[in-house]
Amino acid sequence: MYHVTVTDTSRTAASMSIDSITVRGLKYDTATKKYSYMDSVLYNNLKTITKIDLPLHSFESASAFEVTFNSNQITTNTVTNKNDTILYLNKRDTLIVTHQNTDKYLSLQCGSVKVHSIDTILTTNNFIDSIRITNRKVSNINVENIKIYK
Amino acid sequence: MSKILKYISSLILCLVAVYSVQAQKTKTEAKTKIVADTIKTPLFNGIFVQGDLISAVSSLTSKGETYSYEGSLQADFKHKYLPVLELGYAGADKLTSDNIGFKANALFGRLGLDFNMISQKKDKKPTNNLFLVGFRLGMSKFNYNITNVSITDDYWGGSQAVPYNNISTTKVWYELVAGIRVEVIKDIFMGWTVRSKSLISKDDDGNVTPWYIPGFGINNGNANTAINYTIGYKFQLPFKRKSAVKAKKPNTEIKPDAKPDTKPRNNNQQTK
Repeated sequence: MYHVTVTDTSRTAASMSIDSITVRGLKYDTATKKYSYMDSVLYNNLKTITKIDLPLHSFESASAFEVTFNSNQITTNTVTNKNDTILYLNKRDTLIVTHQNTDKYLSLQCGSVKVHSIDTILTTNNFIDSIRITNRKVSNINVENIKIYK
Repeated sequence: MSKILKYISSLILCLVAVYSVQAQKTKTEAKTKIVADTIKTPLFNGIFVQGDLISAVSSLTSKGETYSYEGSLQADFKHKYLPVLELGYAGADKLTSDNIGFKANALFGRLGLDFNMISQKKDKKPTNNLFLVGFRLGMSKFNYNITNVSITDDYWGGSQAVPYNNISTTKVWYELVAGIRVEVIKDIFMGWTVRSKSLISKDDDGNVTPWYIPGFGINNGNANTAINYTIGYKFQLPFKRKSAVKAKKPNTEIKPDAKPDTKPRNNNQQTK
């Protein structure tokens, strides 16, 4: 599980907010070489969110997610000197996180868990502008690992 | 008048002489008493051979989950310094509610020193009972297995068994010990000790830590406590046993240079 912070700061916008977000895991079929949706949805049209938790694959070295954004961005129109609102509806991006998995023993009662080290993150740019890895180590401790910028 | 003066002066002289004799007598008596009450403790007073009852009983009641059997050899020097060697065999065969198993067994040893805090009172009967405080350094080298550990991926699916077999480790710890030991029958002692144990060789985060350390007990982090109830026999060397019998007659031992009767008599004679 790693934590993604969706930042509302933009390099150009005056202000921006995420209205809702939908996140689904994508499993890769090696036979057809295509991605398909996982059965369960991680976040289903969740409103006013700034942080999401994404589970990384325990036994494979890449985890893929489809993130759908609904957002509005308010910018200042220099001609009319009024605020313009730009709506982003159902903008979909795909995140592919490549990582290394390691076993970590906790205790006799809790057993072992997988911890991860993030190598790289690939993304499409339909809504997302860029991504920054803030902490490569992904463990059972709740810390922020990546930031998504618009 | 001169007769009266002579009488008074001889009376004063007499009183001074009596006081002097009395003072000398008191001083000599005190000296004699100190010499008589100081029982010369031999350097070596024997060896305690002991077994721990609590660990043996709890081993039987825990149905094999944890077990420990231990005994000790402890020498008695000057009835004050008691170096000790404790040896034992302990282990665990634990199964959690999730069927994760832990198995280990090994010998362990502890080396330490106890101090007897009971000082022999000059005016009281000497005692063989002990009030001990001390320390131990313990060590155990053992192998352990942790079985049936598996990692399950709840979202992506899949499960993987993680075997932790035959992991070898050496654990070192120290103990602070306090207790009492009472001679219940001649040379047979019973007593208890409480122990505060602290691990010196700690595990880092993520290490496959043993659930149980032989001689240390259940590994809850880095500290543990324990109680021992021991029964033991004190072996004494034959010639020391004889000297111990002699030592029980304190009035017979008088310092050779103390001559309590001679000096006061001499003083008395001089005054005459």
